[in-house]
Amino acid sequence: MSFELKERGNHLYKDGDYNGAEELYSQAILKNPREPTFFTNRALTRTKLEKWAGVEQDARMAIELYGQKSPHSLKSRWYLAQALLGLQRPQEAYEIAIDAYRASLAAKNSQTENLSKIVLRAKQAIWAAKETARLREMNLTLATVEQLVEADLKRALDDLQGQLDKGEIGETGFLEDQKALREDAERNIQNVREAFRIASNGEIRERVVPDYLVDGITFEIMHDPVIVPSGTSFDRIGIVKYVEQSGVDPITRTPMTVNDLRPNYALKAACEDFLTKNGWAVDW
Amino acid sequence: MFASKRLSKELIKMQEHLPPGISIVKSENLEEWQMDIKVLDDNPLYRDETYRLKFTFGSKYPIEPPEVQFIEVPSTESAPESKRPIPIHPHIYSNGIICLDLLSSAGWSPVQTVESVCMSIQSMLTANSRNERPPGDSDFVSYNRRRPRDINFLYDDDNV
Repeated sequence: MSFELKERGNHLYKDGDYNGAEELYSQAILKNPREPTFFTNRALTRTKLEKWAGVEQDARMAIELYGQKSPHSLKSRWYLAQALLGLQRPQEAYEIAIDAYRASLAAKNSQTENLSKIVLRAKQAIWAAKETARLREMNLTLATVEQLVEADLKRALDDLQGQLDKGEIGETGFLEDQKALREDAERNIQNVREAFRIASNGEIRERVVPDYLVDGITFEIMHDPVIVPSGTSFDRIGIVKYVEQSGVDPITRTPMTVNDLRPNYALKAACEDFLTKNGWAVDW
Repeated sequence: MFASKRLSKELIKMQEHLPPGISIVKSENLEEWQMDIKVLDDNPLYRDETYRLKFTFGSKYPIEPPEVQFIEVPSTESAPESKRPIPIHPHIYSNGIICLDLLSSAGWSPVQTVESVCMSIQSMLTANSRNERPPGDSDFVSYNRRRPRDINFLYDDDNV
C-alpha cells in the first residue's frame, strides 16, 4: 500500500535518513501518482538534501494536484519558492512567493510568516544579482577577479561531482564539501569587493537603515506595513499577533481589533524603494 | 516567532549605546539576561547602590512581556562592591518581585524594550521617597508561588 510506504518514509525522515525517506516516497508515488502529500513530503525531504531541481518538480506537481486556488497548496508554493532561490532564479521565486503570501494572508493560513520571510529573501537575491552586475560594470578589474573566483569554484565543484559519480565520496560528504566550497567563494568575493570599495575613493556607502522603516515589534525592515488607529505603522505579522491577543493599540492601549488596521502604502513604497537600492538591509 | 532575532537586535543596539546608569551584566543566551541599574539623582534611599535585574524571555517575546525581577547578589570578601541588594520600594517585594503595570500581560506593549523597561524601573525608584515594602510583604514572600506576570496586582496607587 502506498500510504504504508509514506508512513515508513516519515519515520526515516524523523530519524534524519533523508535519502532513505526520499526513496520510500518515490516508491509511494510510483504506486499512486495522484496523492499530493507524497509529493509535498518528498519536496520537504529534498529541501533537506538541497536537491532543488527535484523540489521544484515535486512542489509544482503537488500544487497542480491540490489546485492553484486551494489553501493546501500554500505550503508547496513555499517549497517551490525556496527551490527557485536555490536554483538561482530569484525573480521567479519572488513572484511565486508574493502571490502565495497574499493568498495566505487572505486565508489566514499559518504559512504567512514563512512566506513573508521568503519574499524578503527573494528580494535580497534579486538585489544581489543586480548589485553584482552593477559593480562589475563599474569596474572591469573587479569583474575579472570575480570571474576568476567563480571559474575556480566551478572547477572545484565539477571535481567534487566527479568524485561522487565514481563513488569516492558519499552523498553527505558531497553536500558538506559543496557547501564549504560555495561559502569560501562567497567569502572571497566579499573580500575582493570590500578591497575595491575601499580603493574607490569614498564611494563606500554607510549601511544604516532609517528608524522609520523599522518595525517596532520585530525590529526588522517592514515589508507589509499597516497603521494602527493612533498613527504608528507596524509590519503586519507582528502587530496582528499582538492585537489578536491583547485587543488594544500598542501605543495608547485603546481597544481595537485587527479590522482597524489599515495598509500604509506610502510607507510600503518607501520600504520597497530602500530595499531595491540596499539589498543588504534584508539581513540587517 | 521572532524573539531571538528581535533580542539580538536589541543587544546590538544596547552594545552601541546605553543610557546612563544602565549596564549589561549577562546576555550570552537569548532566554535570560541580567542588567545592572543605578539611580542617578541624590535620592538617599538608593544612593551609591547598584541593583541587578533579571529578564526572562519566552518564545513569544515581544508579543508577551518578559519576566523581570530584582535579584540579590551577596558581596564577597574580595569584592565588597559586587553586592546587589533588593531596593526598598512600596511596589517591590523583598524577594525581588516588582509590581509594575507595564510588566503585566495587560499593561505590556511590544514597543517596550529591555532598555525602556530598565529606564521605567529607574524612574520608578527615582520618584519614590517612602522607605517601605508593599503591604503584606512577608506573607506574599512566604506564600506566593505564582509567576509575577500571573499575579493580579492592584495598580491603583499612582503616587509612587
